[in-house]
Amino acid sequence: MTQPRWTPFAVAAAVIALFCLPLLTSSNYFIGIAISGLIFLAAAASLNLVYGYAGLLSFAQLGFWGVGGYCSAIAVMDFGRSFWEGVLFAGLVNLVLGTVIGIVITRTTRHAFVVVTLTFALLASLIARDWVDVTRGPLGIPGLPAPQLMGFAFDSSPRFYYIALVFTLAALGFLYCLMTSRIGLVLKAIKQNDPLIESQGISPGPYKLAAFVIAAVITGMAGGIFAFHLKIIDPSFLDFYYMQTFLIIVIIGGAGSFWAVVLAGAAMVVLPEALRFSNELRMVIYGVVLVAVMMLMPSGISGWLENRRIASLRKALR
Amino acid sequence: MEISATYLLQLTLNGLMLGLIYALIAVGLALIFGVLEVINFAHGEFLMLGGYAMALSLPLFGLSYWPALAVAVVVTSLVGVVLYEFFLRHIGQKEFERSILTTLGISMILLYGMQYIFTATPMMVDTAYGFDGIEIGSIRITVTRLIAGGLSVVAFSGLYLLLKFTQFGRAMRAIAQNREAAMMVGIKPRHVARNAVALASALCGLAGAALAPIQLLHPAMGQAIIFKAFALVVIGGLGNMTGAVVVALALGMIESWIGGFFSIVWQESAIFTIMIVAVLLRPDGIFQRGSMRVG
Repeated sequence: MTQPRWTPFAVAAAVIALFCLPLLTSSNYFIGIAISGLIFLAAAASLNLVYGYAGLLSFAQLGFWGVGGYCSAIAVMDFGRSFWEGVLFAGLVNLVLGTVIGIVITRTTRHAFVVVTLTFALLASLIARDWVDVTRGPLGIPGLPAPQLMGFAFDSSPRFYYIALVFTLAALGFLYCLMTSRIGLVLKAIKQNDPLIESQGISPGPYKLAAFVIAAVITGMAGGIFAFHLKIIDPSFLDFYYMQTFLIIVIIGGAGSFWAVVLAGAAMVVLPEALRFSNELRMVIYGVVLVAVMMLMPSGISGWLENRRIASLRKALR
Repeated sequence: MEISATYLLQLTLNGLMLGLIYALIAVGLALIFGVLEVINFAHGEFLMLGGYAMALSLPLFGLSYWPALAVAVVVTSLVGVVLYEFFLRHIGQKEFERSILTTLGISMILLYGMQYIFTATPMMVDTAYGFDGIEIGSIRITVTRLIAGGLSVVAFSGLYLLLKFTQFGRAMRAIAQNREAAMMVGIKPRHVARNAVALASALCGLAGAALAPIQLLHPAMGQAIIFKAFALVVIGGLGNMTGAVVVALALGMIESWIGGFFSIVWQESAIFTIMIVAVLLRPDGIFQRGSMRVG
C-alpha cells in the first residue's frame, strides 16, 4: 500500500492534537472515551501484526489482554509493586505465555489455529472466574490505585490520558518500524505465498512466532493499563466484546494496512460513543458492519481503495 | 466420600443427556465443515434461536410440546438456508478467515439483536409436561429431559439413515470426500451445501428447543455451548462427524463425573484442557479428518 506524500504531516498534526486534547475539553467523559480508544488502538494494531501481516487469525489476543490486566492488578495489589512494574510484569508474563503457546500453535493448520487460540482465551476467562484464591473470582479486584511517578499522581482522567497516549504512541511507533522493516516484509510475503517464501530459503516459523509473541506482549501491556483506567478488574475484562472490538477495527481498516487500521480504530471507538447507542444496539451495528465489510470489500476499506486505484491506473494505460 | 451406585448411575445418565445435546450441536458443525470448510461461529445462535422459537410458539399451541418443537426446527433450518444463500455462498473455498469473520458478525447480530429485543434476563419455559418426572428404581428423571435424550437418539438414527441411504446424503458425502470428482459426476455443490447448512441448523434448532424446558433460556446460551462444541469438533477431527459424536458423548459424561466429585472449576475447564492436550498429541484430531463418515 502506497502512502500519500502528506502522511508524515498528518501524523505530526494528529500527535499534536492528541497531546492538546485535555486542554481543549474539560469533559471527563470524552477523555475517558479517548483513553479507551487509544488503548484499544494499541491492541488492534498488534492484532493487525498477527492477522494482517502474518495471516494468523488469532483469538488469543483476548486471553493476553486479560492475563495482562490481571497480572498488573495483582502485582500492584498483592505484591505491593508500582503500576509501572505491574505493566512490565504483565508484558513479561505474556512474553513467556506467548512463546509457549506460540511454539505449539504456529505449527498447526490454520483451522486448528483459530480454534486453539479461541480456547486459550476462554480458558483464561474461566481461570479468572474460578481461581478465586488469586483472581478473587467473580467479584474481581476493585480499587486499583492511581499510578504514581516520583510523587506525581495520575489520579484524574486528563492525567491518566497521557499514560495511555504515550504508551499507544510508543506501541504504534514500534509496530510501524517493525512492519516497514525486513521482518514486516517477510511477514507480508508469508501471508501472500507461504511456499514461495520457503523456496527462498526463509523459514516462516520463527517469523510467525515473533509476530505472535510481540503482539501478545503489546496486548498484555495494553490490558494492564486498561485495568487501571477502569480501576477494577473482574472476569468481564475477558468478555468476548473486547475481541470483537479489536477485530472490527482491524477488518474495517483493512488487515495488513498500518494507517488504515489506525484511522478505523479512531473512527470505530469514537463514533458509536458519540452517537450514544445502547450497548446491544452498538454490537448489532458492529456485527452488521463486520458482515457488510466481509461481503462487499473483504480486504477492508484500504484494500478496496487500493483496488480502485489499480483499476483506474489500468484504465488509463489502455 | 461414600460413592453409591445410584449416585454414579445418576451422574452417568446426566452426562449422557448432556453429551447427546453436545453431539447434536457438534455434528452440525462437523457437517458444515465437511461440506463447506467453514467453521460456523453463528451455530450457537441457532441453538438460542431454536430455544426462543420454542418458547414463543409454546403459548400459541396451548403449551403442547411437539408442535412448538416442529416450529423451532423449521424456523432454524430456514435461518440456515438464509445464512447460506445470502452469505456463505459468496465465500470461496480458500477464504477460511473470511468465512469465520462473516459468521462471527452474523452471530453478533443475532445475539445482541435478541438481547436488545428480549433483554438478557433469563426466561423460564413451561410445557404441558411441566416438571413431571419418571422414577426408575431410585433415579428420578424429568420427562422433558427424557424426551430430549430420546429426540437426539432419534435425530442421530435419522441422520445416519439419511447420509447412508438417500441420494441427498450420498451427494453430501461425495462433496465432502472429493469435491472435484463429485462435480464431475454432476452433483451440484450449491444445492448440497445449502442442504447441509439447513440440516445442520435444524439439528441445532432441535437441540435448542429440547434444551429450552430443561434450562433457563437467555440470549447468550449459545455462546456458552458453542465454544465447547468447537473444542469437541477439533478433538474429534475437523469435519469428522462420527468423531464429533463420540467425543461429545464421552465429554458429556466426563464433565458430569468430574462435576460430581470435584469442584465446578474442573468441570468447566476439563474440556478445554483435554482439547489442548489432544491437539498437542494429534494435531489432526483423534479421528482422522478426510472423508465424512457416519457409521
